[in-house]
Amino acid sequence: MAKESFDKEIQYLRMLTLTSGAYNRQQFAERLGISVHTFDKTIKKLKTIVNTTYQQLAPGQEKQVSESIRYSYYESIDPLLLFIFRAKSVKESESYRISLLLAAMSEEALTTMELMDICCRDLNPDLPLPDEKTIRADLKYLEEVGVIKREAGTRPFRYRLHNDLIQQLSDEELYDLYDYVDVMANTQVPSVQGYLLRDGLKKHLARNQVEKQVIEPFLYKYHYYSRILDEAHLFTLLRAIRNRRKVCFLYFSPKAEKSYASQNTNPLFERDHEGKVEQTLPLKIIYDHQYGRWYLLSNGREGVRKYRMEGITQLEETEAVSEELWDKKSSELAEKIKYSWLIDTGRPVTVRARFFNPGEMEPNFIRNRVLLQGQWGQIIEENDDFFVYEITVNGTFEIKPWLRSFGSSCEIVEPIQLRREMIAEWKEIQAYYEPVRENI
Amino acid sequence: MNLFEKIFNYQVLARLEDSGTFMITSHERAWLKTMLDHPAAIEAFTAETLDKLRSLLEQDQRMNTSDHLLEKAKSTEGQVYHPLLRPLRRHITNTSGICITYQLKRGQVLSEQSGLPYKLEYSMVKKEWYLLWYHLRRRAFMRTRLNSIVTVSTESIPTEKAELILAHVARTLDSRKSDVVIEIVREYNQELSRILYAFSCFEKDVAYDEEQDTYHVKVSLPGDEMEFLLSKIRFLGKRVRVIEGNYLKRRMLEASTKALERYGADYT
Repeated sequence: MAKESFDKEIQYLRMLTLTSGAYNRQQFAERLGISVHTFDKTIKKLKTIVNTTYQQLAPGQEKQVSESIRYSYYESIDPLLLFIFRAKSVKESESYRISLLLAAMSEEALTTMELMDICCRDLNPDLPLPDEKTIRADLKYLEEVGVIKREAGTRPFRYRLHNDLIQQLSDEELYDLYDYVDVMANTQVPSVQGYLLRDGLKKHLARNQVEKQVIEPFLYKYHYYSRILDEAHLFTLLRAIRNRRKVCFLYFSPKAEKSYASQNTNPLFERDHEGKVEQTLPLKIIYDHQYGRWYLLSNGREGVRKYRMEGITQLEETEAVSEELWDKKSSELAEKIKYSWLIDTGRPVTVRARFFNPGEMEPNFIRNRVLLQGQWGQIIEENDDFFVYEITVNGTFEIKPWLRSFGSSCEIVEPIQLRREMIAEWKEIQAYYEPVRENI
Repeated sequence: MNLFEKIFNYQVLARLEDSGTFMITSHERAWLKTMLDHPAAIEAFTAETLDKLRSLLEQDQRMNTSDHLLEKAKSTEGQVYHPLLRPLRRHITNTSGICITYQLKRGQVLSEQSGLPYKLEYSMVKKEWYLLWYHLRRRAFMRTRLNSIVTVSTESIPTEKAELILAHVARTLDSRKSDVVIEIVREYNQELSRILYAFSCFEKDVAYDEEQDTYHVKVSLPGDEMEFLLSKIRFLGKRVRVIEGNYLKRRMLEASTKALERYGADYT
């Protein structure tokens, strides 16, 4: 059986969060490069997961996927898109068995045979009874993912739930832990494991308190919540980097109209798609805080290659390369991106801009923002009216939006080309609003 | 490490929830162990708890993503945790009132004001924490930087009164939002994804007109936060145009006119 992939679901969720409400089924299916029928099937599956994950909903209150992941600042306290990481399929009998085994091992350390007995006693008689081999395989898996621990001692081995973390902390300490996990998952990358832990702790705290207390006092303003979708590929890529292996994937440039193509098993039915098969040596992952997006930087036949993580599908690790080759390519890349505002590897230029201080009455929010967001740039000159900021960057393309975001508080001094471009852009922008001057 | 694990499956999770079982994987422990290395951990826990956590995670691996993951265009991370978060979160959880002394923008100090705190808000843009609270005497919604708080202590408030206020807060916050409509200029539809990413941190609805091949983004936000939206619109430049929202239109006209004046002779 082919490895289960969630590319289609992730592409859909990304499109849904970005274009909230813009497309109908037909338009979604077209853009995802799948049939409306496949689209409906995907939605049905996601809906089941969403509604099981947020069980508190009363019957009849089930929500559509699009409603459930609609972002609202004061209400979307839980990470909206986390449920996609709950999507790995498990047979029903297996889900019963695994949860039964874990519940049993939370009480006391047990042997395989004792666990067998518990399964025979407590599992629904309609489900097939597991044999010893199955239980052993389950235990092996659970130990691998670190959920259970084998106790020291001789055969037969005893296993227990590996949950010292909550056993040994007081309620007070658990609140501190919950808060820390919440803050770090929301403000740092990567976040998915943090959100999963937050979810577990939250349920645990809710179970153990008599009165329902507010356990979510925190809000995060202007937060790129959809960034967690791209973490789906992150760990596969990081592993490939660590193993010095190439990867292969079907790439859809975000500028292309379609963002997914069905993976047909029968080559006769293979359709033309706009995606491109890429094989490349991954070197570095970049997270761009400006847009909340992820990039893969790698080495291909043409030298440095840059991919947007959102365009990567059907990702697989392939052949290994020598340590020397990887080191060489990696240090070449490090040299090239030293002055990248984001990922531009163009020629370094010195940008100089004059920032105008707001009136004396206010705190200098312009200067504060430049210091906060100006990366490695420096203030080289300062007086009561303005200050001059200087930075060496690879090309001006990536820094330009940031400089423009300061509006009339920023004047480009150098390079002259950038100064001209900025003038031209402000003229165009002015033209957008000029005709309606009287009305506003 | 694979994020799509059987153990995270939604049915498994739902059944564990039914039996009241807490489980944690090595993935989550590795993440936590890595995060505990962050200086913020010192503010977040008592020294004793932090020691306990570190020893509980001793056998676990770190996540080590930082070797190969580079963050770009990141603001200087001034403050991730603030020492007041712990006491204030307890005031909020216990629905207790506060007596607060804080500094205003221009340095003036307001002493011993009575209020009810309801949320702690982190600005991802300014990298700072704020306390959202209700000012009892002035009946006003307050937003105070934790750094500006001089002292804060508990002050009792009758439960019924606190509940009424919290209900009022919840009702009012949502109604204070207003809508702005921004058009993505059609020639830049090629950059749609990038533009929509820039708006993805807002509450929004997008409408697509297939005939015109045009996208309209309706952003909802409180009036006092238009500044941030404006900086995004200027960030995107000529790719977008405000089509509904007179305040923003006026500000964009003003910004472009003033910017061009700055460039003076070069412009004409």
